[in-house]
Amino acid sequence: MKILIVDDDPINRTILQRLLGKEGHDVFTADNGRDGVDGFALHQPDLVLMDIRMPGMNGYEAAREIKRIGPSRFTPIIFLTAVTDEEGLVQCIDAGGDDFLTKPFNRTILQAKIGAMERIRQLHARLRLQKEELELHQERVHQELEVGRHIFSHIVRAGNLLDAPCLNHWTSPMTLFNGDLLVASYNPSGGLHIMLGDFTGHGLSAAVGAMPVADIFYDMTAQGFSIGDMAEAMNVKLLSIMPRRMFCAACLIEVDHRQKSLVIWNGGLPDVLITDDKGQVVQRVVSSRMPLGVARMTREDRKVEILEMRPGYRVFLHSDGVTEANDRTGSMYGVERLESHFDGTLPPETLFHTILDDLEQFRGDAEQTDDISLLEIVCDRAGEEPRGIEEKRQRTAIPPTSWEASFTFSAQTLKTVDPLPTVINAVMNLQAPSGHRERLYTILAELFSNALDHGLLKLDTRTKTTPTGFIQYYTEREERLARLDEGSIRLELVHRPRASETEDPEPRGGEIHILMEDTGSGFELDQIHTQLQGNTGHGGRGIALVRSLCHSLEYQGRGNRAKAVYRWTV
Amino acid sequence: MSGTIHVTRNDKETVIGVKGRFNFEMHSQFRAAYQSDSGDDNQGRRFVIDLAGTEYIDSSALGMLLLLREEAGANESDIEIINTRPEIRKILETANFQRLFKIA
Repeated sequence: MKILIVDDDPINRTILQRLLGKEGHDVFTADNGRDGVDGFALHQPDLVLMDIRMPGMNGYEAAREIKRIGPSRFTPIIFLTAVTDEEGLVQCIDAGGDDFLTKPFNRTILQAKIGAMERIRQLHARLRLQKEELELHQERVHQELEVGRHIFSHIVRAGNLLDAPCLNHWTSPMTLFNGDLLVASYNPSGGLHIMLGDFTGHGLSAAVGAMPVADIFYDMTAQGFSIGDMAEAMNVKLLSIMPRRMFCAACLIEVDHRQKSLVIWNGGLPDVLITDDKGQVVQRVVSSRMPLGVARMTREDRKVEILEMRPGYRVFLHSDGVTEANDRTGSMYGVERLESHFDGTLPPETLFHTILDDLEQFRGDAEQTDDISLLEIVCDRAGEEPRGIEEKRQRTAIPPTSWEASFTFSAQTLKTVDPLPTVINAVMNLQAPSGHRERLYTILAELFSNALDHGLLKLDTRTKTTPTGFIQYYTEREERLARLDEGSIRLELVHRPRASETEDPEPRGGEIHILMEDTGSGFELDQIHTQLQGNTGHGGRGIALVRSLCHSLEYQGRGNRAKAVYRWTV
Repeated sequence: MSGTIHVTRNDKETVIGVKGRFNFEMHSQFRAAYQSDSGDDNQGRRFVIDLAGTEYIDSSALGMLLLLREEAGANESDIEIINTRPEIRKILETANFQRLFKIA
């Protein structure tokens, strides 16, 4: 042990130095307070023996100074004192002394006190080490969580939740990480996909599952897959990565303002409420499926509800964190209180904020026990342009080349899969005409659904113009598709580079010739006009839209063969 | 704050009763309640989850039921959830658990 003796009496110094030297300690000495402080800084002793009355700086002052300059490391100070009065001893302790030793020195007592101080000092050292380790660990965890939260929020926030004018949302995570996943993104034909997912539990473990789900959501939405396809893909992913006791109650919604339709898949979330222009619930979509990540999905499980979107309609979607929010007494907000707002007395446009205000008032300062999310879709605004969407995707320019591709889809194929996303991906991978994906997708999708719905399934678009007809149309479509056992659709794509109109020798774009032919009986030629051109109702608008996007569009044969030319430039 | 678990068992059947709040904090208790009875040695054992005294059930509890189902042999398992109050039944049915368990 390194021991510093501070005493102005040379006899005392010598006695102590001999005594302690014999015990095997390294001993340093100083003969006044000032030198004692300097010696402390220089030698970093493990123990200080300090006289009180010294010329210049006395023992009390020196002790205070030592405790001040070396606070992180515990160095015991034992005062050497002739005084035995209580007042003097209290002063020793006040100055930062840890013990005192009365003169003349008794060897045994000195040894015992040094031993005791050494034990305390070691305990301090161990505690300090543990504290440092703990702080380091805490810091590391904090850093990691911060990185995690950053990545998480960027993956989850990649979409259009904030851009879509028809959405109002509020989400309140219980911890740093949100176990409620709320995402929205436009699909290639301009429809909006929305998903609310509520993972088992809260915090990091819940959020980890949200990342692959968000990824699948954005990826498949951009590729043009339907929400039923997405639910299935997410389910497969979650089944393979999540522990059995974790799952994700989820609702997926597609808002298609062109078709005036709402497509809803609800697996385990509270009822989705649809309100009319009076703010009253006209329809609710109850959970008819199991949450994602519980069991393998059947064909039936992929099925969605298709509703017609009528003027003034609003959709309200929430996680159970809303109805299960506690107040201070522990009672829950409840379904009844939530739905009491939809009695028709409130102006519909105030509903969203009224519910939030009421919930906040109910909760007061009660501790939050779950992640809470509420979302409103204002159907009337579904057609509005997204706010400030910057070009998020990377532009990769592949020089325009010549290629041809053709696909033939049999009735069996058409019953089983939607081939369009695969086709459009093939085109994008071959040619990547950036910025043209949405238009190409819309053209192909409209031509394809015409070939399938009217050519093969022989559905009449005019049915869709009435509200009951709308539902009837989709029911009919589903039934006929299930029964379809003959016929096919052939799609031919021919791409040619197109020389630029300026003197630049490099081709600056291309031309895609699209041929969509079905084996159906086609239309009477004059009917093509009424059905496809003049019609401005649901669905029929599709062909007018295709015409506006294409360089040219014509129907041939008996009306079962559509030829379109799409031109693009870099 | 959380609930309590009471287990009775005979040769063929294990009855797990949950009183109070059936939530995340019950995880190890609930697991311990069935674990000695699940696995290969207990093929054909029936599990009854009695929710008569359950005030509240959260998604973690649903997860525990899934775990029990898995460890008791998934589709072949015989698990019945009994004495469900309407509120609790609603939560089970929202998750469509009637497809995985017998609920009474």
